[in-house]
Amino acid sequence: MPSTDIIAAIATAPGRGGIGVVRVSGNGLADFALALLGKTPKPRVATLSNFLAANGNTIDQGVALFFSAPHSYTGEDVLELQGHGGAAVLRMVLGRCLELGARPAEPGEFTKRAFLNNKMDLAQAESVADLIDASTTEAAKSAMRSLRGEFSGAVHRLVESLINLRMLVEAMLDFPEEDIDFLAESNAFGQLAEIRTQLGNVFRQARQGSLLREGLHVVLIGQPNVGKSSLLNRLAGEEVAIVTPVAGTTRDAIRQHIEIEGVPLHFIDTAGLRDTEDEVEKMGIARTWSAIRQANAALLLVDAAQGVAPADQEIIAALPPGIPLLRIFNKIDLLDQGPRATSDDGAMDIYLSAKTGVGIDLLHDHLLRAVGWQSGSEGLFMARARHLGALHEAEEHLALAEECNGQIELFAEELRLAQDALSSITGEFTADDLLGEIFSRFCIGK
Amino acid sequence: MLYPTQFDVIVIGGGHAGAEAALAAARMGMKTLLLTHNIETLGQMSCNPSIGGIGKGHLVKEVDALGGAMAAATDEAGIQFRILNSSKGPAVRATRAQADRVLYRQAVRSRLENQPNLWLFQQAVDDLLLEQDRVVGVVTQLGLHFRAQAIVLTAGTFLAGLVHVGLSNYQAGRAGDPPSITLAHRLRELALPVKRFKTGTPPRIDGRTLDYSVMVEQPGDIPAPAFSFLGDPARHPRQLPCWITSTNSHTHEIIRGGLDRSPLYTGLIEGVGPRYCPSIEDKITRFSGKDAHQIFVEPEGLSTHEIYPNGISTSLPFDVQVELVRSIRGFENAHITRPGYAIEYDYFDPVGLKNSLETKTIHGLFFAGQINGTTGYEEAAAQGILAGINAGLSVQEKEAWHPTRDQAYLGVMVDDLITRGVVEPYRMFTSRAEHRLLLREDNADLRLTEEGRRLGVVDDARWQYFEVKREAIASEQERLKSTWVNPRLLPQEDAERVLGKGIEHEYSLLDLLRRPDVDYPALMTLPGAGPGVSDLKVSEQVEIQAKYQGYISRQLEEIARHQHYETMALPPELDYREVHGLSIEGQHKLNQHKPETLGQAARISGVTPAAISVLLVHLKRGVPQIKTVSNSKKSA
Repeated sequence: MPSTDIIAAIATAPGRGGIGVVRVSGNGLADFALALLGKTPKPRVATLSNFLAANGNTIDQGVALFFSAPHSYTGEDVLELQGHGGAAVLRMVLGRCLELGARPAEPGEFTKRAFLNNKMDLAQAESVADLIDASTTEAAKSAMRSLRGEFSGAVHRLVESLINLRMLVEAMLDFPEEDIDFLAESNAFGQLAEIRTQLGNVFRQARQGSLLREGLHVVLIGQPNVGKSSLLNRLAGEEVAIVTPVAGTTRDAIRQHIEIEGVPLHFIDTAGLRDTEDEVEKMGIARTWSAIRQANAALLLVDAAQGVAPADQEIIAALPPGIPLLRIFNKIDLLDQGPRATSDDGAMDIYLSAKTGVGIDLLHDHLLRAVGWQSGSEGLFMARARHLGALHEAEEHLALAEECNGQIELFAEELRLAQDALSSITGEFTADDLLGEIFSRFCIGK
Repeated sequence: MLYPTQFDVIVIGGGHAGAEAALAAARMGMKTLLLTHNIETLGQMSCNPSIGGIGKGHLVKEVDALGGAMAAATDEAGIQFRILNSSKGPAVRATRAQADRVLYRQAVRSRLENQPNLWLFQQAVDDLLLEQDRVVGVVTQLGLHFRAQAIVLTAGTFLAGLVHVGLSNYQAGRAGDPPSITLAHRLRELALPVKRFKTGTPPRIDGRTLDYSVMVEQPGDIPAPAFSFLGDPARHPRQLPCWITSTNSHTHEIIRGGLDRSPLYTGLIEGVGPRYCPSIEDKITRFSGKDAHQIFVEPEGLSTHEIYPNGISTSLPFDVQVELVRSIRGFENAHITRPGYAIEYDYFDPVGLKNSLETKTIHGLFFAGQINGTTGYEEAAAQGILAGINAGLSVQEKEAWHPTRDQAYLGVMVDDLITRGVVEPYRMFTSRAEHRLLLREDNADLRLTEEGRRLGVVDDARWQYFEVKREAIASEQERLKSTWVNPRLLPQEDAERVLGKGIEHEYSLLDLLRRPDVDYPALMTLPGAGPGVSDLKVSEQVEIQAKYQGYISRQLEEIARHQHYETMALPPELDYREVHGLSIEGQHKLNQHKPETLGQAARISGVTPAAISVLLVHLKRGVPQIKTVSNSKKSA
């Protein structure tokens, strides 16, 4: 086998659970383990260990298992870090692994490596192909979700600027005889600085509350006193970092974030939507509507004893077409009914009690299904981690480009590598695509 | 009649691809026959009278490094030499020469005529002789049968060529030559994937009717560079300048007025033309905001008054051509000697080729040059030498050879052609090469001459010259690496003069040469450093390698990382519909292309990294070396 780089991923399915596992595979992991654990565990011996941050602080304490090549699942050195199951902690451990030089594993990559290193028999081969196929599809979905919202816009603006600069630089190199002043050198460096600023903004956006702020948007419709807060608290259950009201002005849409099985859900409360003459309040309402239009799912919460209120109907009628709607009939404990879920004209009705918790599991599953989440998929976090990895790599090349004082072909090389790094986000951009940009913009050729 | 001599290799066509193919096969010791419809036009430059340029000059140097003729012929025929991008880095510098058409033809013909093992025969080819899926010879117009084990077809624009001037058109291979109609029909019958392209040329002008005093002179470089690694600028013929003028808004009005009789804009021309070399009518239509377009006035040679106005390729009717030409500054009294025209011709989708340039469907049949959808003399010559070499290797029953993408522009071109196909005539640009910093003009010999020697196309003279140079580079690098400059022994004024400032600790000369603002000649003036090597080609190479070293090693690492998969072979009979886990699109694309290696597969558009993983798994299944699963923890 050729030498391979180090890959890492959260190996346990997202969700609650006693332990969560981060798995790392690659050659020469002894040094990696030393940096992460302060020691290299004896192969195949469960070792209680601290997982250390860069500054030496303990992120988590757990069991480290080291398998040296070739006696491991993948056939390479494998390090398994079993920590406490919380999503936030697991992410910090994975984040530290990435800091230490691992890259986020591609979908199915551990199994693929295992297969390629003769760790599986022929009968398992079929399932490997299936796994790659399925996990690629799943990862593509996650990648799409990671690319939603402002993050996506910022990334695409960044890539456009990069393509524009590359177009000018490459045209200057390949077409020196044209009477076109493609780019002054100072201008090239000016544009580069601009791109690096953009990239900085993208990072800031991505880090700021990372997924919390950009998770899936769920519209919560319901009159006051139908039990919204207790429902959200119930849903969040034992997860860490449960309900986080986000400050905004009181006139903005009220937003609350909870995580279910590691999936950040972002609730937009529509209680404040009503006719008003107040200009400032109108603006807040307009923003709420725009949030509703971008939502991934809608929850209508009603008192089972009272049914759907006319004000709620109005909002439902204004929801974007095709958005999944869950109607929740709360307070069944007061009616002496049992929990149930029924579906009716595309909407799902769930009967539950937020107060006693009966039926919450039904909502839990149906809500995740409604937003397209399947348990056990590797998830949004890995997708975002890959995106950030790509952006980091691009940033390294852009920084090097800045140091190419005056050597334009080296400058061009770093730009090319930066764009290559971003291709995992934006798809492949070939030399032919670049030439196409040049020819459509400039009249080239004798 | 069956011609009594049996040949090893037959090359059809005597243009730039055909000449290099025939010469290469003959240098390998193959009994080679070059068939051309006209011996007088061997080595003809059908389009502009220049060789080289960015990306193209790189190809010429590579052909030269493999013992080919193009660079040396240009040195004999060149009437102006320039290094383009000379103010930029070595990787993007390129040589370009204006050539005297007559001298160039003579240079090529004399090489063909004097090459041992090579025979010429003048006769158009009408048909191929096939036995099952193998080509065994050709049939000429007179019904002569020539037999050979390998055939290289370099038909250029001759296959079903159709020349357009305005709304009239006629069948031709280029202006003044008959097309190959019978052969084109025959090839279509063979079910090879045929398509149409279009290209064009400007009207030629009698230089005595031009007013050069209003044009800008563009002289050649002094001193003039040589094109061939073995070339000597002192042996160039007399040098001439080029001139630059431009179109104006009046010219553009005239052109717009003639568009209703343009074969391009009335739909008469169906073939796709190149975007980077548009006709003048295309330029003013697509870039209507631009009120002037450059015209390079290029001399056609020392023994003629004809000039080539590069930049006004057109297929407009002749009366419009006269008017538009005379609207150009300095061209007011111009006399056109030959009308400009567009030509449409058959080419074969290069996706049907192996990277040896052998067709995938017919054994022993190789295609090179414009027939593969490329454009340019240099692109043709480079394919020609590769096809000639591989024709020779196939006769010798040896494994085919091709340079990789990190080894040569030739490798980039062939890989692009066979994995991506062409949607417009393919021309080389340096931006096509992801390893551009490695693929320089200056090191083409270091990249390829040793391979050429192994393949039998590099003669003793070139080899000896190369070995001396390579040895000199290595020993000078060794000397620089082991010569140390001590800060205490270095006078302050020397340090400032050569290095800009003093040094804080000991450095080797090689370390110092890596600095961007330190050059070799200056470095040699440091006490104890000189005198250095006197051969400029050697010192240049030492310096470039030192300056680029960080980048070169990074690219080499990247190459090494991909090497394993790059060369992993895919069986040609594999039906991708049976590969479990491939998407429908992936199956379709792969079945269409039938890539030879996993690396090629990865570069086919629409084949995703996931598909490559699935292919890897599939390949691996065929390998019966399954070990037991280790007892470490398993999970999916």
